[in-house]
Amino acid sequence: MADKINIDVLTLDSVQCAACGYMMESIAALPSDVQDMIEYTEWSIKNKDGIGKFLELQGRVLPTICIERDLVFESIIPQYEELIDEMAARAPNDAMRERIKSLRDHGFEFDKIQENLQRAGAGLATRTDSKVK
Amino acid sequence: MAKQLLIDAYRGKRTASPPWVPYAGVHCAFLINEPADKMLKDPKLLAKGVVNAAKRYKADGIPLVFDLSVEANSVGCELKWWGDNVPSVTTHPCSNKTPADAGLKLPTKESGRWPVLYEAAKIAKPQLDDLDCVLMGLFCGPLTLASHLAGVRIFTDLYKNPDFAHEVIKFAGEVGAIAAGFYAEMGSEIIAIVDPVASQIKSETFQEFVTPNSQPAIKVIHDAGKTSSFFICGDCTKVMEDVCKIGTHGFAIDEQLNMNFVRDLARKHEVGFGGNLKLTLALSLGLLSPREDAIVSLAAGGHIGYTFAPG
Repeated sequence: MADKINIDVLTLDSVQCAACGYMMESIAALPSDVQDMIEYTEWSIKNKDGIGKFLELQGRVLPTICIERDLVFESIIPQYEELIDEMAARAPNDAMRERIKSLRDHGFEFDKIQENLQRAGAGLATRTDSKVK
Repeated sequence: MAKQLLIDAYRGKRTASPPWVPYAGVHCAFLINEPADKMLKDPKLLAKGVVNAAKRYKADGIPLVFDLSVEANSVGCELKWWGDNVPSVTTHPCSNKTPADAGLKLPTKESGRWPVLYEAAKIAKPQLDDLDCVLMGLFCGPLTLASHLAGVRIFTDLYKNPDFAHEVIKFAGEVGAIAAGFYAEMGSEIIAIVDPVASQIKSETFQEFVTPNSQPAIKVIHDAGKTSSFFICGDCTKVMEDVCKIGTHGFAIDEQLNMNFVRDLARKHEVGFGGNLKLTLALSLGLLSPREDAIVSLAAGGHIGYTFAPG
């Protein structure tokens, strides 16, 4: 999607695994202005779609946050500013890059986490026959 | 099924054969055809599930629960329940204030789900004793509990707002010490700090926040004459030396670590170690043969301080 930054989170299962859960939350707690600019999905390797995505992106460890198909945070839960910087570096255009950078001092928002996690399919595809999309 | 064998291995001693611990968790519910949420809320079903899994898998030890939401829930975090998984924490009372400002109180035996666990342990413990199987107590480690309390901001606060982070993690460590005491009282011979997110930070951050705030619980476990362990998940290579030095009798890791590397570290530090049958690749997905995977783990683990377990 050219007008959005695509984020894939490779996990074991964000409900069962706390590290995976907080990797997902680091994206779900981004401010609402950032939410408008990103598209993100949890890929649990408990299902075949997730294994396919792990292989496609050449994942090495779990959990990993991939931004625009780059393995950016591998077994390191990112700080807010690190996430903003890495997304800005991969923004599809200058206007979006500047808009993301302007939110660098904003910090996480916690009021819509559950809604955002639901949108990303967090915890909803943890069976071997689950379909992610 | 052999309690002493498991305790010896957890303490880094030589054993005639490696003991075995299935971290059955909510799989116990599946085995008795019950939803996970129903089992975890019902002490009789929980005891039934745990004892059944111990028998079925001929376990030398089995956790009462493998559920890191218990401690968070006992100090006020709300939960989302799942029929096929452990509950997840949905609210973070310290997302914008310290534990003191949020009015958080240390848990008692009456807080949250502790009465259910006490009752389940009372039913399960004599049955596990008859099987010569250790009732293991697993509780949420300081950094993971701090994440539940403050949300993902804690990983930014570790660097940008360390005073706040210290306050939250110190409180989490105090809650952990109380949980350790509860498990000792229930009769758990082995009590483990489970801190999965501690693999997601740098070594110096681990030393500053996780090591000191694990000490109160370790003291409680050792003062009670019990055996201690530290469970960590994921690619924790960067903090493995710190895990070995934290002060527990041993540690356990997951499938992402190389067993030869882990074995050599454990022997260097003379601590026990457990792992790492591949939970996803072999047991869940069958992409590897579980039998051959088990042989690889057993061959690497050896007979000194090693416990065979899923990773």
